This record gives sequence, structure tokens and C-alpha cells, in this order.
Amino acid sequence: MPDWNPVRSQCMLSDMSSTGATPERSLSISTELVIETPENVLLTYRLAGPAVRLMAYCVDFLIRGAIIIAAIVVGAFVASAAGILIGPTAISISVGLYFVIFFIIDWAYFGLSESCFRGKTIGKHVFGLRVIQEQGYPITLWGAVLRNFVRAADSLSFYGVGFIAMLVAGKFRRLGDLVARTVVIEERRVSVPREPIILEKIEPLERTDLGGFVPAGQTLALIEDFLGRRHVLPYRRGHAMARVLAQALAKRLDYGGDSELVERYPMAFLARVYATFHQTREDEDLDESRSPAEIRRKSRRQAAAGAVT
Amino acid sequence: MNKRRFIAQRAPAWRRFEQLLDRLDTISLRRFSPAETAEFSRLFRELCYDLSLIRSRDWGRGLVSFLNNLVSRGHNAFYRAPPGTLGHFVHFLAAGFPQLFRKNIGYFLAAAAVFFGTLGATWAIIQHDPALAGRIVPAEQLDMFEQMYKESNAERRKSSDNQSGRRRRAQGFDEYRPAMAGMYVQHNTSIALDTFGRGILFGVGTVYTLIENGIVLGATSGYIIAKGHSAQFLSFVVTHGSFELVAIAVAGGAGLMLGGALVHPGQRSRLEALRVRGLEAIQIACGAAAMLAVAALIEAFWSPSAIPNAVKYAVGGMMWLLVVVYLSTAGRWEKKS
Repeated sequence: MPDWNPVRSQCMLSDMSSTGATPERSLSISTELVIETPENVLLTYRLAGPAVRLMAYCVDFLIRGAIIIAAIVVGAFVASAAGILIGPTAISISVGLYFVIFFIIDWAYFGLSESCFRGKTIGKHVFGLRVIQEQGYPITLWGAVLRNFVRAADSLSFYGVGFIAMLVAGKFRRLGDLVARTVVIEERRVSVPREPIILEKIEPLERTDLGGFVPAGQTLALIEDFLGRRHVLPYRRGHAMARVLAQALAKRLDYGGDSELVERYPMAFLARVYATFHQTREDEDLDESRSPAEIRRKSRRQAAAGAVT
Repeated sequence: MNKRRFIAQRAPAWRRFEQLLDRLDTISLRRFSPAETAEFSRLFRELCYDLSLIRSRDWGRGLVSFLNNLVSRGHNAFYRAPPGTLGHFVHFLAAGFPQLFRKNIGYFLAAAAVFFGTLGATWAIIQHDPALAGRIVPAEQLDMFEQMYKESNAERRKSSDNQSGRRRRAQGFDEYRPAMAGMYVQHNTSIALDTFGRGILFGVGTVYTLIENGIVLGATSGYIIAKGHSAQFLSFVVTHGSFELVAIAVAGGAGLMLGGALVHPGQRSRLEALRVRGLEAIQIACGAAAMLAVAALIEAFWSPSAIPNAVKYAVGGMMWLLVVVYLSTAGRWEKKS
């Protein structure tokens, strides 16, 4: 069977270079999927593992079971009523309809809901999961139907086959995902990050206590991220971690002020470092060409001006 | 630009985009007004730019993941495949499915050889020695089948002398027909789709299911004929058998396409071969499911009806011809692009 098709193989090659064979390989242990969109933006998705997918499956299973039981109960009532009024044919029709409903729930529930609701079933919606194509595009009708027909193989021995495939194939893809070229991702609703540091309430460090070093933008972003998520950690643990950064920064900055601040209130120190320098970084961002020495001079001038006002 | 000023400046656009996305969760992009569509597309591109900017400036993971989330949701909504219409469905059955079937006819022939081969062989053996049937199909089930055909034979004979009895019995049969139709749809299509889906296990699942069904069908057929109900049995199966048996083999062929892609991927990698052939295989399998729905209707409403056997054989022969003509010619009028 001549399967070689030059156009197709070119797609394959460009595929590999655009999704980046290298990041994929280097991140093979990570649960993040990186894809590049036609707008040349890198998007990262968090892949959904077997556990959360099993829970979503259980929800779907209960819903499917409920629909079938409801069909039986409602059908039995309607059929017995219709059987008295119309005759035995009505009972037969309702039994036939029951089989058709059972078939649809059995084989088409997943495929149809995934193609109609952009890669979601009710169970997946509950757990914030979505099926997308590996290249990031929404799932197609055929893709959705295909990945769910192959369930017939995945579900053998209580989804043992699918589970092993997930572990072996990478990206938590079961056999159906491999054929249909899909992955299941976790979506989270994220709100605009709140301002973790309310600048008005934090006074900058005294410039006289500082040397000439200006922390990099990355460091400031790290401080901001860390402080923004400080409530995730217990007080002591959070401060212990902040102390590492605070001590290193204090040393680098030649901080000559209160050492108690660095040791006992490292988070406060970091916040004050941020308050001191975030303005400086802005100027640097505006004019990347300026030399570090000039920036340093400028920041000193600013500090002096700050001291006067 | 300062991060804070940037956020303050861009946040309204982000919030607006989020609003549009929330609306897209409930309605499709096509229902947007032209102005909204234009706005959505413009905001989407702006957000892509914002995301790249924030990534390159290292402005923190919180902001990146926020925008990443928005852009990926937008991406998902924006590049959505156009929805299928009834026209697509009709075209698929009228042309698309037979075309794909012919393109991959080798797999069908292999599956048909396995299925009809086992069916024929078992049939011949059991008809020769009906005692063996008990080893394949449970005895009570065989009794049930035999009873079924014996009764309908007796009924037929009796009904020819007695007009009112015939009407009553025919009505008795009528009662069950819709229920049987539903059952045939559920049962037969499940077998066909199992046959297809399990093909991904290197084709072993498909071959196993084909052989299993071939043996059971062959054993039952051979047993019933050996017991002397051949006229009743053959006139019953000849019409729907056309769609039913061929569709099982078609689904088996689709399953073998999946397995074949893994065993013999040709010039592609195994995964790539699986994807390319999988897309064709699923369409063939869905075509087989549609054929089985037709078969179920025939089996429930036509096959058990009290029509003279000669008519049933004639119609059955025409159905076989129809299946062959459909699969071999439908869609040929379309020019290959």
C-alpha cells in the first residue's frame, strides 16, 4: 500500500519543528503541553492525568446510568398507560425505543457531547477537563467519534489497556487519543492577578543603605509572584523560604540598614526592595539601550529626589 | 512600559475578551454579530501580542498563566471546525463512505475472508454433524432457535387453512417488531463497533471478534438447517443478511485498518500511519453502522412477515445486488480532486 505522500510528510516535519521536538523531549516528564499557534504565540496546557479523568468518567457513568434508568422508568409508565389505551404495539415501540436509547448512551454519549460541546462531556466539565487536538485546535466530529469508538479496546480489563497506554505513550494519551490525535487538558479559570504589593503602604528602602546594584526585572517579578502567593504557605515556611532570597539580595545590595528586618521579616524586606526598584525597571524598559552605569546614576538621583520630598 | 501601568491599560480589553468568551460558551461564533466577530478577532490578536510581551519581559507566572488561559480559550473558540450539516451527512452516505470503502477495499476483503471463511466452514461442519453445535452454542439457546423456526413453520401451515388465525398470528408478530428493531440496532451495531474499536490491538481484537461471530453464526445456521427448517430459515435471513453480514465485514475491515497501521505502517511512523488511516477507518465504521441500522429495520419488519418465500428470495437477491452496487459504484460520479 503506497502510503507515502510528500505533502503529508512535509506537514509532519513542520509539525515537529513548530511544536518543538526539543521542548517536548526535555519536558517529557512534565505535565505541560506547549504548542505554537498560527499567531506565533506559545500556549501551555496542563495535561490531565489518569486520576482526574477516571473521576470525570465516573460522573459520566453515573449520568449515563441515570439516563438509562430514567428511560426504563418513564418508558414503563408510558408504555403501561399506552398499552391500555392503544394496545400492545405501543409497549413494543417503547421497548424498541429503550434499546435505541441504550445504544446511543452506550456508544454515542461521549463522541456526541465532545463534538457538540467543544471537547467536553458533563463529567469533564465538572472537573474542568477538555479534549483538544494535539496541535491545540478544537476537536472535530470524526476525531471525537473515533477516540470514543476505540474505547472498545481501551476499556478492556476495566480500562487496564487504556491506563497502560497512558503511561507508555506519554502525554497521558490512551489508545483512542493516539488514533484521533487528541489530548485531554485541564482548564482552570484564572482571574487577573491581584496587586500583591500595595505600593502606597510600603515605604522604599533608604537609598543611603544600598549599594549600586539594581536587581534584574526577573528578580522583581519573582518577588511579586512569591508575595502574591504567600498565603499558600504557612507563615513560618513562607518566611523561611523568603529569608533565603532576602539574605542573598541583602548581600548583593550591600544593604547596610536594619539586619533584623532581613532576618525576622524577610517578606517585608522583599516588599520594600520591590517598592524601591520597580520604578527603576520601568525606566530601563522604556529605554533598553541605556547603559547599566547610567541607570545606576539615575536611580541614585531618584533616591536623592525621594529623600528630599 | 511598567508592568502595573501595562495591566491597568490592558485589563479592560482582557475583561471584554473574557466576556465574549463566556458568551461563546453558550452560543457559537456564527451567532455573533459582525461587529462582535470583528471585535473578538481583534482582541484575540491583541491578547496574543500581550502574552508574547509578558513572556519576553518575565512579568511573572501569575500574569502569564492568566493570559495563557484566555488565549487558549480564545484559540479553542476561534479555530472551531465548522459544524456538520444534514447535507454533509447525506453526502457522506451517498458518496463519501463508498468512496473511502473502495479506497481501502483490501482491508475489507481480508476481513470478509476471515468472517465468511469461518462462517462457511463452521456452517458446513455443523450441518454435516449437528451434534457438534452443542459445543459452540449453549444447548438451551439452540432449542430456542429451533423452537422459533418450528413454530413459525407450523404457524405458516396452519394459517393457510385458517384466515382469521392467520390475521391474529400476524398481528401477534407485529407487536414485537418495533421492540425487535430496537434490539437489533443495539445488538448488531455494538458487535460491529466492538469489532472496529478493538482493531487497534494490532488487529487481534478485530480478527478475534470476526472469528467468534463467524463461528456462532455458522454453527446456529448449520444446526437449524440440519434440523430441517431450511426454507423458513433461509427466507428469513436472505434479505437483511445482505446489509448485516456485509456491514460486519466492513466494520472488520475498518478495524484491520487500525491494526494494519501498527503492523505495517508503510513509509510513515506507526503513530502517524495510525492517525492518517484512523480518520478514514472511523468513517468506514460509521458507514457500517448506518448499514446495520438499515439491516435492523429489514430484519424486524420485512424478514418475519408472512410474505411468500419466493418473493422474499427475489427481494433478498435484489438487496444483495443493491449492496454490491452501492458499495462499488456510489460516489464514482464525483471527480477526484
